[in-house]
Amino acid sequence: MEQYLFYILAAAMLIATVFAITEKHPVHAIVYLVTSFFALAAIFYLLAAPMIAAFEVIIYAGAVMVLFLFVIMMLDLGHPEKAARPGIGHWLPAMVLGVVIAAAAVTAITLRTTTAPATRVIGIKEFSVALFQRYGVAIEIISMQLLFAVVGALYLGRKR
Amino acid sequence: MDMLQFPANIAAAAGVNFAAIMPEVILSVIAMALLLVNVFINSEQKAYLGYLSLIGIVVTFFSVVSGWGAPQSGFNNSVLQDNFSLFFKGTFLVSAFLTILITDQYLKREECNWGEIYPLILFATVGMMLMASGTDLMTIFLGLEVLSVSLYVLAGFNRANLKSNEAGLKYFLLGAFSTGFLLYGMALIYGSTGTTRVAAIASYISQNGMVLSNPMLVAGMLLMAVGFSFKIAAAPFHMWTPDVYEGAPTPMTAFMSVGPKAAGFAAFLRVFIVALPAMKADWSELLWVLAVLTMTVGNITALKQTNIKRMLAYSSIAHAGYVLVGFTAGNAVGTAGVLFYMLSYAFMNIGAFAIIVLVGRKGEENNNVSDYAGFGFKHPVLGMCMSIFLFSLAGIPPAAGFIGKFYLFSGAIQAGYVWLAIIGVLNSAASVYYYLRVMVFMYMKDPTEEFDWLAVSPSLALCLLLSVAGVLIPGIVPGTLLDLAQKAILM
Repeated sequence: MEQYLFYILAAAMLIATVFAITEKHPVHAIVYLVTSFFALAAIFYLLAAPMIAAFEVIIYAGAVMVLFLFVIMMLDLGHPEKAARPGIGHWLPAMVLGVVIAAAAVTAITLRTTTAPATRVIGIKEFSVALFQRYGVAIEIISMQLLFAVVGALYLGRKR
Repeated sequence: MDMLQFPANIAAAAGVNFAAIMPEVILSVIAMALLLVNVFINSEQKAYLGYLSLIGIVVTFFSVVSGWGAPQSGFNNSVLQDNFSLFFKGTFLVSAFLTILITDQYLKREECNWGEIYPLILFATVGMMLMASGTDLMTIFLGLEVLSVSLYVLAGFNRANLKSNEAGLKYFLLGAFSTGFLLYGMALIYGSTGTTRVAAIASYISQNGMVLSNPMLVAGMLLMAVGFSFKIAAAPFHMWTPDVYEGAPTPMTAFMSVGPKAAGFAAFLRVFIVALPAMKADWSELLWVLAVLTMTVGNITALKQTNIKRMLAYSSIAHAGYVLVGFTAGNAVGTAGVLFYMLSYAFMNIGAFAIIVLVGRKGEENNNVSDYAGFGFKHPVLGMCMSIFLFSLAGIPPAAGFIGKFYLFSGAIQAGYVWLAIIGVLNSAASVYYYLRVMVFMYMKDPTEEFDWLAVSPSLALCLLLSVAGVLIPGIVPGTLLDLAQKAILM
């Protein structure tokens, strides 16, 4: 049962991603991308990682996609007739590189001689403790970085 | 010879230990305070922000000096303030100090006198410090991000200037792309070893030797090398350098060519020497190729440049190559040479850019080498300063650049990389051509301009004075500084 579900979800994800790349209309492309993220979230759930599934939905399908849509609105890209479809000159190198990366990934997976370090399922509590204690200093750095990113963005975007 | 080992006499503190990040804390508090002050003062008073940030840097420098010899670790070993990171922190503070000294005059001239530049410079410095003291891949990555985000804004700081905008955008796009490589590499290393602590990665690999045959680990190492190579502007990942250096405001070019490069080397050294010593045979071969490519591409392209900022951009690529020679050697002499060289490079390069700031004027940057015709006669003292910086960049004694190169190359010879040292020396000889060409224009051509717009502000004079001292004193008596560099890596 789980296996069939996995293959269905994986196929849905792949197809949605291909459409997300080939679709001319950026808003449609984003809808395909969201579909792909949802399928990925379900796969994470199947792998007994419900938390990562939730993060996938909240962060990628939620926040990141809203950001994409926002940029498309702001830059007024919602006109497919303006966008030229990439020609063979763009497709060919992309496909060659894609094949290279796929081959490398397959080699990396099939040639691995070691088992991955032991993993276990952790709950949201354990995750939070690790996040705010073990990586406390990292959280502080990120919050300061956000502050200065805002300062920089405001400076560059301010009226002359 | 064990380098950069976890210090034995450490003041151990697993949890919160602010002593381990004291310089970072001081500097970021000052940066945030300056942001607040900036709101309340008018545009004539923005120079005060510069003075305040200079005071802040001096205070931070004292905290760095007082930490010397007393290593501190904290936050579950995600930061380690040892002598190695303190030496680099000193280098970053020196470069930020010299940069701020030349910033004010430039901003006034370009009529883009916004106070945000000083907090951003300080914050970029905080990022560099985190990169030097990070012993967790996560901290190193976040330090790099802090640094990069500030630099993207600084590169595009002159908003009215199209070239500056272009520089900011180009740096942002390529920088974000290269960060992806670095992060991918870190993720693969985490995936194959199960930890992000650099020391724990090394001990995992030494306990599970077969992990070395894991392609994931090798791919992780390669991707991280790509990410760091971008930050230090090593060929073939150097394409962004000339455009960004040319377009960015000149003081920011000076800053970018020195501080972030040193920070990139600090993190590069820490990760590769501490976390991946088991792969040293592999990565030193890789670095060998990178070093030769970087030196050669940088120098040969610099020969053809007529724009002095572009020329110094290619020269900074070449200098990354010389430093990579010392890194490739991987022994104590070469690595100490890296530290020594980055510090003296800060003095000579920012000094040269200070002169470039002076020669330019509003709307006319005078960046062409021919704009320097007769400069040495019209302004003998400034011409003399520029000559000292150029001699040092070319590696001619008694400047610090010569001593630095001497240690980098002798480290390579001691490690058996004789050919690498020979290629380095040949490259260094070729570089003399384009540095001396500026001097030929300065002293052997008749002046076409009166250079009457030149006004040396006190802060710029101080910058030149410090830079000349920083180039000549370690060049003539290198013992003290070299001793510090050796203590920094062997403690």
